[in-house]
This record gives sequence, C-alpha cells and structure tokens, in this order.
Amino acid sequence: MKLTRLASSLLLLGAMTYGAAAQEDPIKIGIPVGLSGANSVVAPSVVQSSELAAEEINAEGGILGRQVELVVADDGSGAQGAQRAFDSLVFQDDVDVLISMETSAARNAGLPIVNRAGKPYIYTSFYEGRSCSPWMYVNAWVPEQQVTPIVDHFMNEEGAKSFYLIGSDYAFGRGMLEFTRQYIEESGGEVLGEEYLPMDGSDWTAIISDLKSKNPDALITSTAGGAPNVTLTKQLRNSGVDIPYGNLAVDEGTAKSMGSDATGIYISQSYLTGIESEENKTFLAAMEEKFGDELKTPNDLSVPQYEAIYLYKAAVEKAGSADPQAVVDALPEVSYTGPRGDIQMNKQHHTPLTMYLGQVKDDGTVEVIKTFENVDPGEQCPNL
Amino acid sequence: MADITSQTPQRSLSPYWTTAIAAALALAVVLTAPLYLDIYLTNVLIRALFLGVLALTVDLVWGYTGILTFGQSAFFGIGAYACALVFTHWGFGPGWFVAALVIGILAAGLIAWLVGLLSFYHGASPLYSSIMTLALPIVLVQIIFSGGRFTGSSSGLSGFPTYYWSINTWFIIAGVLLVTVASLAWLFVRSDFGRILIAIRENEDRCAYLGIPVSAIKTGLFVVCGAIGSIAGFGYAAFTNVVAPELAGFLLGTESLVWVALGGRATLIGPILGAIGIDVTSSYLSGSLPFLWKFIVGVAFVVVIILLPNGIASLVTGAWRRYKARGKDETAAHRHRSNVTLVPAKSRRLEENLSDDKAPILIEALTCRYGSLTVLDGIEVVGRRGELLSIVGPNGAGKTTLMRCISNGGERTSGEVVIAGEKIGRRSPQKIVELGVGRSFQNTSLFDSLTVGDCLRLARYRIDGASYLERTERVALPEPALEILKATGLDRQLGLETRYLSHGMKRGLELAMVLATEPRVLLLDEPTAGLTKPERTAIGDVLTRLVEDYGLCVFLIEHDLDFVREISNRIVVLHQGKMLLDGSVEEVVSSDLVKAVYSGQETETPA
Amino acid sequence: MATLFLDILTTSSMLFIVAAGLMIILGVMKLINFAHGAFLTVGGYSAHVVTDAGFNAWLTIPAAALVGFVLGIVVERVILRPLYDRPLDAILATWGLGIVIAQVITFIFGRGVQFAESPISGTADLFDISYSSWRLILVLVAVVLGAALTALLYFTRFGLNARAVIMNENLARGLGIDSVKVRALTFGLGAALACAAGALITPLLSIDPNMGLPWLVNSFMLVLVSGVAIPGLALASLLLGGAQVLVSTFVSPIIGGITIVVLAAVILRIKPQGLSRG
Repeated sequence: MKLTRLASSLLLLGAMTYGAAAQEDPIKIGIPVGLSGANSVVAPSVVQSSELAAEEINAEGGILGRQVELVVADDGSGAQGAQRAFDSLVFQDDVDVLISMETSAARNAGLPIVNRAGKPYIYTSFYEGRSCSPWMYVNAWVPEQQVTPIVDHFMNEEGAKSFYLIGSDYAFGRGMLEFTRQYIEESGGEVLGEEYLPMDGSDWTAIISDLKSKNPDALITSTAGGAPNVTLTKQLRNSGVDIPYGNLAVDEGTAKSMGSDATGIYISQSYLTGIESEENKTFLAAMEEKFGDELKTPNDLSVPQYEAIYLYKAAVEKAGSADPQAVVDALPEVSYTGPRGDIQMNKQHHTPLTMYLGQVKDDGTVEVIKTFENVDPGEQCPNL
Repeated sequence: MADITSQTPQRSLSPYWTTAIAAALALAVVLTAPLYLDIYLTNVLIRALFLGVLALTVDLVWGYTGILTFGQSAFFGIGAYACALVFTHWGFGPGWFVAALVIGILAAGLIAWLVGLLSFYHGASPLYSSIMTLALPIVLVQIIFSGGRFTGSSSGLSGFPTYYWSINTWFIIAGVLLVTVASLAWLFVRSDFGRILIAIRENEDRCAYLGIPVSAIKTGLFVVCGAIGSIAGFGYAAFTNVVAPELAGFLLGTESLVWVALGGRATLIGPILGAIGIDVTSSYLSGSLPFLWKFIVGVAFVVVIILLPNGIASLVTGAWRRYKARGKDETAAHRHRSNVTLVPAKSRRLEENLSDDKAPILIEALTCRYGSLTVLDGIEVVGRRGELLSIVGPNGAGKTTLMRCISNGGERTSGEVVIAGEKIGRRSPQKIVELGVGRSFQNTSLFDSLTVGDCLRLARYRIDGASYLERTERVALPEPALEILKATGLDRQLGLETRYLSHGMKRGLELAMVLATEPRVLLLDEPTAGLTKPERTAIGDVLTRLVEDYGLCVFLIEHDLDFVREISNRIVVLHQGKMLLDGSVEEVVSSDLVKAVYSGQETETPA
Repeated sequence: MATLFLDILTTSSMLFIVAAGLMIILGVMKLINFAHGAFLTVGGYSAHVVTDAGFNAWLTIPAAALVGFVLGIVVERVILRPLYDRPLDAILATWGLGIVIAQVITFIFGRGVQFAESPISGTADLFDISYSSWRLILVLVAVVLGAALTALLYFTRFGLNARAVIMNENLARGLGIDSVKVRALTFGLGAALACAAGALITPLLSIDPNMGLPWLVNSFMLVLVSGVAIPGLALASLLLGGAQVLVSTFVSPIIGGITIVVLAAVILRIKPQGLSRG
C-alpha cells in the first residue's frame, strides 16, 4: 500500500516535471473533418465547438499543464481526402489524438491509418454502427438509439402501420434504414418501399412517384447530410408529400435554413439546442459569446465533438500522460457531464445516450416532443 | 535522366543504354529517397507515384496518340477494386495476391478492348471516342454504387487484409513500378511503333490509307494502357488499404488530364512530374488552403491550355532546342541526325503485277448518294494492267468521290469494286490497301512533326511491321519509290521534318509513301497541283515508268488537260455523277459532247 | 400511370431546358462547353442572391440570364477566342474554367448549401392526381423556350447570321457577317440560357458549388444525340429522359442515373450524326 502510494506520487512527480518540461510542447488534437464535400454544411459548427473546448481548457491551464492545440484538416468528406487528412495529421503533425466528426467513408478510410499509427481516436458523429477498433471510441448515437424513438412515435401516436424508406446509397444510409426496416417489422409495421440514390444523386423523381403511388402512412429518410437531404426534402414538399416524415440526417441548423420546406419534419437526436440543462445553457452562452454573428447553430455533431475533447482531457488526466495506450485504456472509465448530460463511452466503445424526439415548427425551431433516457447502444463491438 | 529533353537519337550510345542509365539513376533515387524523406512525405509520395503511372498511360493515349480520354481512371479503379474485392471476399495470401492482380489486369484489358471496339471503328470521330471514355467511368461508378455491400457502394471498402510492409518498402515498390513503366514507355514512344502513334495523332485518316490498321492499334494501345492503369490502381489500393468509387470516377479521369496537360503532353516526364507535383502539393495544402490550391490549379490549367498547349515541359524543351539551334538556320534546327538507310525491298506484288492477268480494278454499277443527292450514278470502269487512266470532268462531277468509293468500302451506296478479282465489300481503307490500292490526296497533308525517314518507315508498316522498343535503321522500299526519292533529292533529306519540305518535295514524298505500300492500283488526286513545269514533267515521267515498267494501273484526276493528253492511255469523262465518255485520248479530245460540257467550265477550274 | 406520364414529361422538360444553352453554343461555335455545369451553378447562386436581397422569386430567372450573358461574353473573349481551331483543347479549357468558377463561388459563399425562395411551391391537381406545380411550370417553360429559340434562329437577323456561320463560316464572313460578333453573342446567349436554367431548377435542388456538375454529362449526351437541332433536342430529351424515368421507376434509380449516358453512347454508335441528320 505504502509502496504503491510512493510509486504513484513518483509517477505524479514525473508527470509534473514532464508537464513542466512540455510547457512549450502542447497536446495536439487532430481534427479531420469534411470542410468540403457532403459534410461541408455541418463541418464549420464542429470546428467552432472544438475551438471553444480548446479555449476553455487552455484558459484553465490545459491538460496536465500542457496547452491544447487543434490541427484541423479537410477530409473532403470522402475516403480519398480522409487518407490524406489522417496521413498528414498522424505522420506530419504527429497529433496525440484524433477527434472528429466524419462521414463513414472517411472514417473507414482513416481507421487503418489510426490502427497503423496507434493513436486514440474519438469518433463524434452518429453513424450506422458496428465499426470497431481497439483505438476508436464513439460518443454519438447508432441506429439502435436513434431510430426507435421515431418509429415508436409514428406507430403509437400517429397510428402509422406502413412505412416508406428513402436513403443515400452509402454505409450510413443503408445501415440506418436496414435497422429501421428490421425494427418496423419487429414492431408489427410494414415497409412498402426502400429506395436509394447515390450520394451525388439529385433526381428523386421516380422514387417520390413510387412513394406517392404506394401511399404509406409515414416516411423515414436517411440521406447524406447537406445537398442530398435538401434536394430530397424540397422535391418531397414540391410533390405535396405531407405524411409524417422522419428525417434521420437533418440537424437544427439545416432545418432552419430550409425554411418552410422543413416544417413538420420529425428528428431524433441526442442533442437539441432546447435542452433545459445548466450545462447546455452555459455552453450555448459561451458559444454565443465566442462567435457572435459567426455562430453556426450547435447541433448533434458539434456537441459530441465538444464533449469528446473534454472526455479526452479526463482520460489523459486519469492516465497521467498522453501515452496512447494509457489514454485508450482510460477512455471508457472517465465520464463528462456536458450539454447532452452524462457521457461515458463504456458500452463496447460506444455510449448510452439520452435521446430527444423533436419536430420542426413553422419558424424553423425544433420542439422537443419526447425524451428517452439513457438509451442503450446495444451490441456494437462484442469482441472489444 | 539528364538527357531526357533531347530529341536527337544518341550519337554514341544506343537508346537502350541511355534509357538503362537513366533508369538506373532513377532507381538509385528511389532506393535512397526514403532515407532522407520524412514519413509523411514518403506516404504522400507513394500514392503520387502510383498516380504517376496512371498519368503515364494518359500521356500515351492522349499525348502521343491523340485520343482525349476521360476514362483512364476507370482502369485504375478496376485494379483497385480487384484488389479490395478479392482480399475482402475471397482470401488473402501470395496466391490470392497474384490472382487479384491478374483478375484486375484481365478485367481492365477486357473492358478496354470492348470500349476500343466500340469507339475506334474507322470513321469514328475523335469526339465519339472521348464520349465513350467519358461514359466508361460514369457507368463503372454506378455499377460500384449498385453493388451494395459487395462493393461497399458510396463508402467503398476498407480495412481488408493487405501486406503491412513498411512505408519504405511500399515506396520502393511504387518507385520501381513507375521507373519500369516509364523506361519501357520511353523506349516505346521512341521506337518505330511510337512514330506510328504520333502519325495517328497527326493524321489518322492518312494512316488508314497507308494500310496502317489504326483501329486495331488504338484498341491495342488502349488495352495495354488499361492493364498498366489497373496495375497502378491495384498497388494504390493494396498500399492505402481502402478503395472508394472516386478512384474509378470521371473526376479522377479529368484530374489526370490536368496533370498531363500541365506537365506537357507527349513528354512522359512532364505528366509524371505533373501528377506527383500536383498531388503532393495538394496533400500539403489540403489542410490550410484546399480551395485556393484548387483555384490555382484550375487557373494554371486554363492558362496552359490556351498559351502553352504543350505544357510547362515545353518551356524547357523549347529552351533546349533554341540552345541547340543557336547560330543555325531554322530548318537545320529541325533536321534530326538520321541513321536511316534506304535499301531496295523485294517487292512481290510488283512482280505479281507483271504476271497477273486479272484486271487490277473493276468498277461495277457504282452509285453513291448522300441523302437525296446522287453524287455518282452507275459508274462502270475497268482499269487494266499497265494503263494510265485519267478521270476528268468539271468541279462537282464526282471525281474525288469516285476515288473515295474505291479506297473505302464504306462510302458507296451500291455497286461493287473488284480489286484483282476480290470484291472490296464494305472493307475499311486499311484493308483495301492490303488488296493493293494506293491513294494520294488532293491536299498535301503529311505528318508534320515526323521526318522523311519516319514517313517512309510508316508507309512500310503494313508489310514490314514495326519494332515496339527499337528504332530500326534500314527502311526497305520498292524500286519505284527509291527512284522517286532519288529524283527529288529526298534521299538526302531523310532527317528533315516534313513540314519544312517544299511543296514539290511533299508531293514526291507522298507518292513514294504510297508506292511503298506496293499497290496494284494507284489513285492519284491532282498530283501536279501547284507544281512547277519541270516538276510536273518529272512526275509525268515517273507515272509513265510506273505504268510501263511496273505494270501499275493508275487512276489520275487532273485538271490540266494538256498534261492528261500527254500521258494518258485512256480518259473517262464524268459529268454530274454520270459517265459521259470512256475512250482513248483522241476519242475524248475530239468529242463534241465533251467540248460542250467543258467549254464553259475550263476557265473556271484552275488546277 | 398519369404520374409516370407526368414524370417523363417534366423530366424531359428539365433536361431540355438545361441542355439548350449547351446546344446553342455547340451548334454555332462547334465548341463543347464543359463549363456548362458551372454556369448552371452560377445561375443557382444568382437566384440565391436575388431572393436573399428580398426581390421577387420570379426575378431570379431574368437576373440569372443577365449574369450568364455577361459572364459568357467575358469568357468568350478571354478564354475561347484563342481556341477556335483546337476544339478538344476548348473542352479542356472550359472544364478548367468550371473548376475555377466552383472555387470562386466557394470563396464567396462558402461550401455549404444555400437556399433560394421558389416562385411557386406546392402541388397542382391534374388528371386526378396532385403533382408538383413547379415541375408542371417547367414543361411550359420548355415549350416556350423551344419556340423562342426557333423563332430567334429563323426570324431574326441574329438567327440568320448565326445560321450562315453554322453553314459556312468563310462564306458568311465574305458576305460581311461579323462572325466574331456572332460567336461572342452566341456564347453569351448560351451562357445566359445555362444560368437561367440553373435558376429554374433550384426550386427542386439545393444550391451548392457543385450543383451543376451532374447535369453536365447528361446535357452533353443529349445535345450530341439531338444532332444539334432544336426539334432533335426535344426528341432526345423525351426519349432519353423518358427512358431514364422508366428505368428508375421499374428497375432501379441507381441504374436510372446512367440510362442517358449508356443510351446516348449506343445511339451515337449507330447514328454518329445524332437524331436530326442522315
């Protein structure tokens, strides 16, 4: 007992001297993000929330006395760009950790590089689930957490029996809708159609006509964010589709800028600006103060990013150093109470989350209809 | 690669040796580079080297052969997906590695062959070929999209097993691949066959009428370049461990055009440097200046296309040429040291001509219509051995169309042309050259940047073939061709680019080239147009000899009636697409009908 | 059935509207404008600026046309004039121009999706079904556009000159037609049409720096298949657009996306001159 205390105080001493020596040597956080391409709409908000987190941490003395430095790289929202971004972050900038919101394609392309380099990686975007790596943790939702509230609401409150599913043809789109179909069918509902368009597709004519001819009770879409989501919603509205419409890929900011076309859309998120917690209010106020007119509406991608940086901080502090292996071991054991509540990535590298079902109102704001506490991510990576 | 900008064949060293030395130097650079490059740059360079191979194939297809291809990326994608699909779904190991590589090469080759068949048929416009190459990646990407989990759709495949060799090993693999391909390409474009590619780029039609199987050559080249692109894509995927549809996409296809255009078309080195330079720079700027960088590349691309069509490399080669040319006159600068020796060829066909008793050419009820316009109507002509037959008639009578209908099976509407007993059917021009028809053209459009020697070798391709990696020194020509070269003094100008020849010499060279294909029937469209009186007489003498000594059958379109009267055995008069008269010189000259038709016309139709 | 019919009709109309600008340029100038997609994008952003400034949404179309015309005149003068005798290089140069335009737009507006107000939203009832009003309006626009272009080519001085240049440029010049001016005006007109088309399709699409790109290849194929003539383009749009809708509806929307490209490649193999000729 004495011995361990001695050892740990020695360790602490070591950490302090190391920390002191490293005063000029900041902890580098690599942020590969889709500044261009499909994610370009939402990426700026993610960069903003990262900047706030870094600023706050640095103002309070950094992590173990080391300042935090952000290194942002454009991943082009795709595999090609992600490789470049990860390469440059890992090998050129030699970052200590990668924390990022990215498309699944970009994540998949980046993971081999992360594995090769052995760096902690916190993935902060909701995604289709079941992506596993000893180096990666996820603090955003997976289908198991997001889809169930919408489907339950449609079936119980709107009396929907038949559904139509539309998605972008990529891992996220297909993964989400596959789970959705399975869940609908398990719940006794019926899926009348499940159609996809490539990510760069913009002509939804045939699909919408098919939807109208099949006359389902409700519609759930899971496109790539940005352009495909906007074109689909516009064309749906233009064709007078007004059945209950759950959009798995829209965020508050996009809903707002879409104007009247977005009215009535149901969204299911782990974060909405309207969450009534102290942490959220403080966060929003801080964002408002830091960015003013330039502020991009915080959303379900930028908030997990913010929280992930704090989770990383907690893990480094617990591990006592930024050593990759030690940090990765510490990550599931630390928790952080942020705008979304208590976050701990303790479920097979994934995170139980409180989910909110919201509906877009006429003025573009989202009204919270229901709250689902601590929704479990389910079996994501049983082998980790 | 010190001597890379030089266009001159080496004085003392054979091209093999210079290439080998350059390749060895490049390999030395490749082997030592990882020692002083940081890991990031090495990483970026590996990918750029694979893309450099892709750029090389684009340069061969577009820069050298003139096929504007948007779709070379498709083959890159095929190789990459062959790697990813096999390793993901079937297995991994040395055997599977080879299997995947072979599958990639075969698939790319097969698709290239199919696209080639569709797009390089005789008469296809260059634009159509480009459309096909544009459609290829678009279709391929949609196929990948619709592959669902099998191909990973928009997300692609990643994390499949591959060889996690060290970065340096991969660098060496990529570097060796690039140096190998570049060295072979270097020899290839300087070989006799390489000259044929340039000839196709400069004047595809003329190549076909010299009996060069243009379509087959283009298709073959496309297949080979597709296979090489596939190898590069395979390496790229095996290294990066991820494939995505954009690897096969139209945007990568156009990007590779940008590399080649900026670096310099038809220089090999330019495109490689273009690909590596642009790709590496964008890797470095992707974080800080992604848009500005793309903007700069875009602007540079437009500027280069407009002002420097031969790319940035042309600044270097241009300066080199000027340096070499200092103190010399202009044509001297373009006179290449020529190692070409002309030797007499044993011409079997010319001997056959003398013994064969079939009529060299028989035209039966030939009709040619364009829409409602009938250009030729029921032409019946027999051309006999040793006969010089002039075709006269006012402008628009259909003389050139008749030539076209004889030399290209696809032209006529109905009727038949029989060459030495064989019907031409719908044969393409190069097949008809094989039957023994040689055709010269009204305009002297030769291959501007080729030398006289190159042109002559080109004309012999049908008979003697061409070496893929070497430049042969001997060009065998049939006797009459040699005579013309001697008479015009061209045999002392073998190293001169043809654009510097005088008009008369061009006519002479063209005739020599046509004769080099060993025709039975010679179709000459105004061979004396624009020539001086002595030159005209010389051509007349040559024609007479061809007919009398070698038994050729010559069809001559000529406006100069005095010339026609002097040398013709027979005259056919065409008028508004119909045969007005077919008879001896006296018959035609004395015919009132002909006088009536011609009287008003003669002054209007200067040669 | 009625929906399918309207889908075909409206899709074809959109294709016709989008491809018209490209065709005018190819017809008169023998030049393939690969910046066409970028021009569509410029049209979309013009619409965004106009409605953002609070003007009536119907004004987006003439405003976009005006922007396109000015842009076209400038581009013709600076980029295209040196390339008239190098048609394949002109494709590449205009493609490069497209890259540049997309980057400039990104500088000004950012990479994100922008929005413009639609002149009309909602549906109209036709044949007992409710159908997108804007799509129906596009059918009308296509018809008017086709008629207007025909009238322009056959009943105006400019049209006469343009046709003369198409048929025989040297002769036209000999007759005192300022072919340089005809070309400049044509490119301006083509760019104006492209930008107006961009504004016309924005109510159905998002406005982003690459919005025009997917339309480029399809327009290009349609124009070639049309044989570069207005009735031909209408026919090509109906045939290929119709095929696209049918394949998307009955086979798969993903395969639907390549219908036009594949059919065009086949048609051009059989009839290299397109539908209007020989």
